[in-house]
Amino acid sequence: MRPFFFCVLLFIAGLFSFSPLPAETDTYVPPVGEAPPVAPPLKKGSPLDHLANDPKMEALPVGYKEGRTSDPIYYIAHRGIDDMGGQGWGWVKKNGESWGSAKWIALQETPGTAVAPFRKLTKRDGDANWEFKFWGSYASYKAYDPRLDELLPVFVLQGYEVIGPENPLNNKIGSPDRSNHRRSGASSREGRPILTDPGVD
Amino acid sequence: MRLFTLLFSLFVLGTLTAPAQSREKIVLTGGPALRFMEHGKGEVSHDVYWFNFVDASVVWLKKIKSESKPDELVTWLIYRPAYQSRSNEMGLNLIAQLQDKAKQLGVNLLFFDNTDQLINYFNRGLDRSKVKIASFDYFGHSNKACFLFDYSNTIDTMSIAFLHVNDLKRIHSNIFASDAVCKSWGCHSGELYSKQWKDHFDIAMIGAIGKTDFSHGALPVLSNSDGKWSQ
Repeated sequence: MRPFFFCVLLFIAGLFSFSPLPAETDTYVPPVGEAPPVAPPLKKGSPLDHLANDPKMEALPVGYKEGRTSDPIYYIAHRGIDDMGGQGWGWVKKNGESWGSAKWIALQETPGTAVAPFRKLTKRDGDANWEFKFWGSYASYKAYDPRLDELLPVFVLQGYEVIGPENPLNNKIGSPDRSNHRRSGASSREGRPILTDPGVD
Repeated sequence: MRLFTLLFSLFVLGTLTAPAQSREKIVLTGGPALRFMEHGKGEVSHDVYWFNFVDASVVWLKKIKSESKPDELVTWLIYRPAYQSRSNEMGLNLIAQLQDKAKQLGVNLLFFDNTDQLINYFNRGLDRSKVKIASFDYFGHSNKACFLFDYSNTIDTMSIAFLHVNDLKRIHSNIFASDAVCKSWGCHSGELYSKQWKDHFDIAMIGAIGKTDFSHGALPVLSNSDGKWSQ
C-alpha cells in the first residue's frame, strides 16, 4: 500500500512540475467584416511610382545612361537568361579583361540611383544578350537564389550605359558550383534544382 | 512510515528549493519583400501586405504568451533591415509599429540584422546551460532548404540573409529542451528542412509539404489541398 501511495504522490507532483506545450491550432478566423490587408497607394515620386507609371519601351536606346557614370573605371556586363529558372542577371567583367574572367552575378539595384535596365522594358528578358557599361562594385556578401539553391556574387549597381545588342556568349550560366558540378552537401543542391516558388504572401 | 515521510519531505523540499527551470519560447519573423521588386509580377507578387508575417507572429505570440509560466521567457526575433527598407518605401515607421506590438504583447523584442547575429543569439544570447529553448516558431519566406529572412527586398527574387540547412551546424545542438516543440510556418520546410533540423538537434520540427498562405493576415494555412504538415 505504501509504494502505491508514494507513486500516486509522485504522479501528482509530476503534474505540477511538467508543463506539456499546448496543442496548436492551424486556423485563424479574422474578425467579421474586417477588410483584408491591401497595399497602400503608390507614394507619388517614389521609385515604384516612377516605374509603374513611366511608359515601357521595347528596346533600350543605345547610349542611354542612368545613375553615376562619370568614373573612368567601369565594368562590361552582358545580360543572360538562365533557362533553369535561376534569377542571376548575367555576366560582368572588368573593362579590358576577357569574358573568361567574367562572373555570373546577382544584380543589386539602387532604387533612386540606378535600377536594372529591364525595368524600362515591356519584358524582363527584353535585354537578353545586350551589353552595358556598369559602374558599381562587388558586395562583401553573396545572394542566395532560392529557385536553384545556389549562391551568387552580388554586383551593386550605381550606374550604367547601354552599349547595345551583342552575340550570345559561350560562358556557362550559373554559379561556379553549378558549372563545376560541385556538391554542396545539402541534398537539395545535388543535381536536382528546387524550382519551387519559395515565397508566400 | 518514517522512510516514506523522509522521502516525501525531501521531495517537497526539493521542489521548493530547487531553482525553477528557466525556458525560452522563440518566435522568429522574417521580412517582407519590397513592392519595388515585386510590382508587376501578377499572381506571384509577394508581400502585398507588409505585415503578413508579423500578423501571423502576433497571433501566435498572444497564444504562447497567455500560456507561458512566469519562468518562461517569450522572445520575438525580427529581421530588421527588411522592415526598415519597407518603411522607407512606404513612408511609414514600421519599426516603431513592431516595437509597439511587442510592448502590447509583453514579449521580449530583439531585432537582428544578419544571420550571424541570429546564430549568436541562439548559442549565447542566454546561458544555454540554464535556459533551454522550449519552443521555436518561424514565420517568413522559405524553400525546402532555407529560411529566407530577406527575400526580394535587397535583390529581386533573391536573399542576402538566410539560414540554410548547411548553416544549422553552426548552432549548438544542445540549445533546446528535450520536450521542445518547433515549427516552421513557411513554405516547403517539411520537404527537407525538418529532417535536417531533427538530424542536428534531435528535436522534431513541423514543416509544410507544399506552400503556405499568409494572406489572411493571421496564422498561415496550407495553400494546396494536397499539402500537409510533416516532421
